[in-house]
This record gives sequence, structure tokens and C-alpha cells, in this order.
Amino acid sequence: MIARVAGDRPSRFRFRRFLAAVGSRTIVGTQRLLLFISLAATVVIVAARRSTWQGPVRTEFMRVLHGVAVRSLPTTIATGMLVGFALVTQAVYWLEQTGTTGLVGPVIVVLLIRELVPILIGLIVFGRSGTATLIELGEAQTKGWLRVLEIQGVDPLVLLVLPRAFGFAIGAFCLATVLLLTTLATGYLVAHALGLVAYSMWDFADLVVRAMKVQDFIFPPLKCITIGFVVALACCATGLGRRDESDELQRLVPRGFVRSALAILVVNSLFDLVG
Amino acid sequence: MALPLSRSVLSLQGVIPAERRLSATPTRLDLELPRGAVALLQVDDEADAAALIDLCVGLSDPGAGRVRFLGVDWTTRNARERLTRRRRIGAIVQAGVWPTHMTVLEAVLMARFYHFNRPPAEVIADATQLARLFGLPGLPVGRSETTPLRALIRAACVRGFLGSPDLIVVQDQMLDQSAGLAVPMAQAISAACDRGATVLWITTNLGARAAEFVHANHVLRLGDAGLVPARRSR
Repeated sequence: MIARVAGDRPSRFRFRRFLAAVGSRTIVGTQRLLLFISLAATVVIVAARRSTWQGPVRTEFMRVLHGVAVRSLPTTIATGMLVGFALVTQAVYWLEQTGTTGLVGPVIVVLLIRELVPILIGLIVFGRSGTATLIELGEAQTKGWLRVLEIQGVDPLVLLVLPRAFGFAIGAFCLATVLLLTTLATGYLVAHALGLVAYSMWDFADLVVRAMKVQDFIFPPLKCITIGFVVALACCATGLGRRDESDELQRLVPRGFVRSALAILVVNSLFDLVG
Repeated sequence: MALPLSRSVLSLQGVIPAERRLSATPTRLDLELPRGAVALLQVDDEADAAALIDLCVGLSDPGAGRVRFLGVDWTTRNARERLTRRRRIGAIVQAGVWPTHMTVLEAVLMARFYHFNRPPAEVIADATQLARLFGLPGLPVGRSETTPLRALIRAACVRGFLGSPDLIVVQDQMLDQSAGLAVPMAQAISAACDRGATVLWITTNLGARAAEFVHANHVLRLGDAGLVPARRSR
């Protein structure tokens, strides 16, 4: 009997430990999610105040927007060309093989405009500008300049987070437009050069536009803007969350990537549910 | 509306800092700094000095007692109001540390443009005048990593005195060791005090070279018995 009790205890304890571990991770995850949502709400509310947009905040916003929308342009165009080559030509080729070339518009709308472009833009924005934000803000606390800003009465949320959140959001929308146009143009030109399509570029554009519904002009742009916004918030929260040197700077980028990728996929899924 | 309890620019009454590194005994701090006063405080440990600065500017709350700035207890103000009140404080702290995404010029002028709507030309003219006082030909326009430390320390002084603040807090070891800043600091502090500003200079050594010519109304040392009068070694 003693042996049986002794044998039961470890397995029961193991199960309890497992439950405790699952519970604590769930609680921590929920707390982080709630914090993230409250940060997003605070940024939106603070941005609505006219007094927020003082000179340095506007300057910072323009700097961030330039970094996202202009400096990321070559990367976006190159990505658009590669995606256009692969996606549109494949779609046109396989639809022609199955004799359903009339579906080329709907297929491109569903695949490219609604799904692929917002996710790719999220990844480009993170790679080009999010990583820089992670490193910049990751050093703010440890180097000490965040404290100097606070002593001067400058709100870090207003000066550091808000311009990035809106710069990333608007920049993501601009880049999404460029990516979409580049992809479609490249796809058409390649397909035309290979003799896969006989119609003109205007007919091709007409096919795509006709396949689009009213919500396709609303939700995909909103999705890109929201994705840019949440990527910025994820990077700012991760960067500013680094409190001391024991939390290595090299670990911030993978952590920021995981959080940004999760945020992109969650936003994408939510928009799919709504739209 | 209730009148402020204290007329001092900075008032510490029965303040007990949360924790000190070089002392196990709780230390009670009392200090009244009226307009135009200069206090030179020796705090042996730099972390304790930084913690004291944080208390004075309302970045942290004391374990006990009250810290008042311009008659208002920091603890009665929310985070946003505290930030707004800090626009009247000039700080010369962490002179070697600057935001990495801004130029030194932008960082020096940033708080002025953030809090006030003065024409940029006027602010830049004031900053340039201060820069010349501190021995710079003008404000450094490069990023901090490409700017010599000597220029960064002087730029931090410009940032601290810019905009006629009511309280100027100084706490930087690199600045303390800069003998070349002794005369400009004395001149800048004297001009600020004539205007009605109060200066709190926290140093690890009362014989700091940069503070050599500063006329201090209060010379104190932080010990286990609190802030006790001390003598400067010249």
C-alpha cells in the first residue's frame, strides 16, 4: 500500500505541475494580449488629441514614414516582381490548362489582394523597419536616454511609439499599393511573353477590377494599415520592454519577429472573418 | 483654490528614499531650495545620486515624505501632469547618452519644441548663444556616435540651461571632471539664478573641477543622518 501511494504521488504531482505550467502560460499570454490591446487603444486615443502632434512628433513621424515607405521601395518592387512571376503566371497557366481562364480575375483577387499582399507587406515592414525599431528602442532603457527624455517631460509613448505606429500603418498601405501593382504588371508581362495570355494589359486589369467587390476596396487596404500598425506596436513594445543588459539585444529580434508574425496572422484572420 | 504649502522651488520634507546602495539605514532627507538658490550635494554612490534626481523630478515616489516642485507634491499629480510640469526643469544628466535615431542638435532642441510653440529661429539662437558660452562654435549637428565626448558634454549643458527652466538639476561624473567647464558653468548658473532659477548639483566629490567657481548657498553631504552641511575642499 505504501508502495502504491508512493507510486501515485509523482504522477499526480507531474500532472498538477503540467496543469500549473499550462495555466501560468495561459495567464501570462492573456495578460500580454490585454496589455497589447490597451497599448493600441492608448496610442489611438492619444493620437486623436490635437496637442499630441507637436513639432518633434511630426518630425519623427515623417522620418519613420520615409524609412518605411521610401527606403523599403526597392525591396517591395523586387518582391512584387518575384511574386508576380511566380503567382500570376502559375495562376494563368493552370487556369488555361483547365480551360477556366475566365476565373483569372477572381483567383488573383482572392489570392493576391485579399491574402498574399497584406501578409507580405507585414513581413517586409517588419524586416526593413521593424528590426531597426527593435534595436533603437531596445537600447533606450539600457543606455539611459529614455530616462533623459522622461526627465525632460517628454512622453515616450508620444515621441517614440505613436509616430512609429502611424508611420508603419500609412507606409504599409503605400507599400501594399506598390507591391500589388508591381505583381500584377510583372505577372501579366511574363504571361504575355510566354504566350499564356492573348488579351491586352487593359483587358487583364479589367478582368481583375471586375472580379473585385466593394469590400475588396475597403478591407484589404484596412488590413494592410492595421498590419503596419500592429507590427509597429509589437516592435515598440518588445524594444521598450527590454529593461537591462541581462536581456540580450540579439534575442530581441527573434522575439519581435515571433510577436509581429503572430500579430500579422491574427489581424489577417480577423479581417477574413469580418470580410 | 488652495495655496501651495511651500514657496520653495524644490522642497523635500521627511523624504525617505526607497533604498540606498551604500547604506542599510533609512535616511531622512529635508531640503528647501528657494528661488535663486544653488545647492551642491555630495552623494557618494552614483546610483543613489540618480535615484535622488528621480525623486526630485517626480520620476519616482519616495517611500515616505513629500517632494514638492513649485509648491506641488509630485504624488498628487498623474503621469501626464508630471510630464507637463517637468517642462520647467532643465537636466544635465547622462551627458554621454543620446538617442541613437536623432542628431545631437535635434535632441538638444527637442524638449523645447515638444513643450512650447516658440519660433524655431528664436530657440536655435538661444541654443547657439549657450553653445558659445560653453565653448562650442555652434550646436553639434551630427549623431552622437560621431560627435566627440567633449562636445556631447557641452551640448548636454546647453540642453539643461535652454529655455529658462525654474529648476536645473546637474548630475554627471564626466561633467564634474571637466575643468574647462568651470567658468562657463559658473557663468550660466549665475545668470540662471539672477533670473530666479534654482540649481541642484549632485556630485560624488564636492571638489569637482566643473563646480569650482560655482557659488553654492547650500553645501551638503548625504550620509546616514540625512543631508548634513559639508565643506568644500578647494
